[in-house]
Amino acid sequence: MARIDLTDVSLTFTLRKTRNVTLKEYLLKGLFLRSVNPKVPVRALSGVTLRADEGDRVGVIGHNGAGKSTLLKLIAGVYPPTTGTRQVTGKICSLFDIALGFEFEANGWDNIRYRSYLQGETPKTLAKKLHEIAEFSELGEFLNVPVRYYSAGMLVRLAFSIATAVEPEVLLVDEVLSAGDMAFHAKAYDRMKQLMSRSRVMVMVSHDLGSVEQLCNKAYWLQHGAVMAVGTPKEVVAAYKRSIAPPDAAHPVGAMMDADPAPEDEPAAEHAGV
Amino acid sequence: MFQHLKAVWTFRYFWASLVKMDLMTRYRKSVLGIGWSLLHPLGMTAVFVLVFSQFSGENWKVYSQLTLAGMAVFGFLRDCTLQGCHALTRNEAYIRQSPLPFGIYPLRTMLSNLVHFLITLAVLVVLIAILNSSLDVFAQLWKVVPMVVVLAVCGWALATVTAFATVYFHDISHLLELAAQLLFFLTPIIYGREVFDKREMPQVVDWNPIAAFIEVIREPLVKGEVPGWGTYATVFGVTAALLGVAFLTIHKLSRRVIFQM
Repeated sequence: MARIDLTDVSLTFTLRKTRNVTLKEYLLKGLFLRSVNPKVPVRALSGVTLRADEGDRVGVIGHNGAGKSTLLKLIAGVYPPTTGTRQVTGKICSLFDIALGFEFEANGWDNIRYRSYLQGETPKTLAKKLHEIAEFSELGEFLNVPVRYYSAGMLVRLAFSIATAVEPEVLLVDEVLSAGDMAFHAKAYDRMKQLMSRSRVMVMVSHDLGSVEQLCNKAYWLQHGAVMAVGTPKEVVAAYKRSIAPPDAAHPVGAMMDADPAPEDEPAAEHAGV
Repeated sequence: MFQHLKAVWTFRYFWASLVKMDLMTRYRKSVLGIGWSLLHPLGMTAVFVLVFSQFSGENWKVYSQLTLAGMAVFGFLRDCTLQGCHALTRNEAYIRQSPLPFGIYPLRTMLSNLVHFLITLAVLVVLIAILNSSLDVFAQLWKVVPMVVVLAVCGWALATVTAFATVYFHDISHLLELAAQLLFFLTPIIYGREVFDKREMPQVVDWNPIAAFIEVIREPLVKGEVPGWGTYATVFGVTAALLGVAFLTIHKLSRRVIFQM
């Protein structure tokens, strides 16, 4: 059974104002002194509780820097929580930063292999998928060329084709619904939907509120790392839209503008149902 | 520890394919390709024979064998340590995507160096057989193979420690480069240990664990002798200690290192 259970999870990054101090700076500027190079705690997530059971399709919305991608990486296990508990059951498939992690000296075929093995494939299971991945990417002869000659769009095509060729249990998606050019985009969107329907639990981060409403059965609105609202996508998207609409707008964003707009920085969680 | 090793094994296809790629791209665009792995140690040995065998008491045949063996072992440990510095930073994109066991990345570094070390060792064995006009060296291999395994474990541990250290302090790689150069001259590689003994500095060799690692490979192959138990004790002791430090580093820092990257 696939399941995600985050209980009161917080995540604090501790950064130095000047990172990666070189020895020269270390000696010349005395940056080893705490007063010169102090630690800066950055609270990325604050008391987040998120549950997703078998069959759930969760959408996470919010402004840039609200902690959405960090939340996804925490669910994936890339970031361990500072406090709180994270329990994820099922094989995780993450679709974020997919255009990173290519071996640029190797050709397209080899990169398909590396990334597939990274996703837990074996030579046996990959043999069945290899040509399907190549075909979907539509890169043809370019697959024989080292990846460093690829354009950014070609890299995204390849990355998307590999990343979506898995059998996911827990699917984590970060803004990959708009991959590649116009022609590829439509194809990618269909494939993404198929992948989502095959997954047993999905968490999706998106600025495309329409997609969240259409594809998800549950939504979270994050702001400054805290959950502002949780509920059905329709309710949460409406609450989010209310928060970003100017209070005195003549033509307010969204259809459900009957309630008072929530102040943007309000820390308390608004439970819009569930 | 065993859980970590199990997880490393689970992703064996991933790191094995990356090691293969590292080997293929090392001599990319060069005409000789992997042939350089054979030629490089032979060429370096030829240079040292030409320059130093005049000063060494040994005849050039023995000197070339001793030097090649010494350089092979030292080069493997040095490359694991120095390239290990970049094992995590180089693989940052993978680390940020999937929480794989951290031991995989230094393993990638160590294994691609191990292949080159084994090629050099094969060259050495053939060279010994030719120069001595005898196949006796092949009978010594059983004494060396287990030590190669220990050396590989030590190489992985070194790469692991320096990989984590570099994330926290980037200057480590430059400092280690200097340290490696110093160690090269403090280790009996291009000259015998008598150079240190004559100057009443035997402790330089006695306290140098690299010298022990070289001896357990070099003595059986070149001289057909087995070094004393103390040398083996040093090799096993140092490897066990480094392995302990490496696992402790992974255990302590694997949850924190991502925040430093």
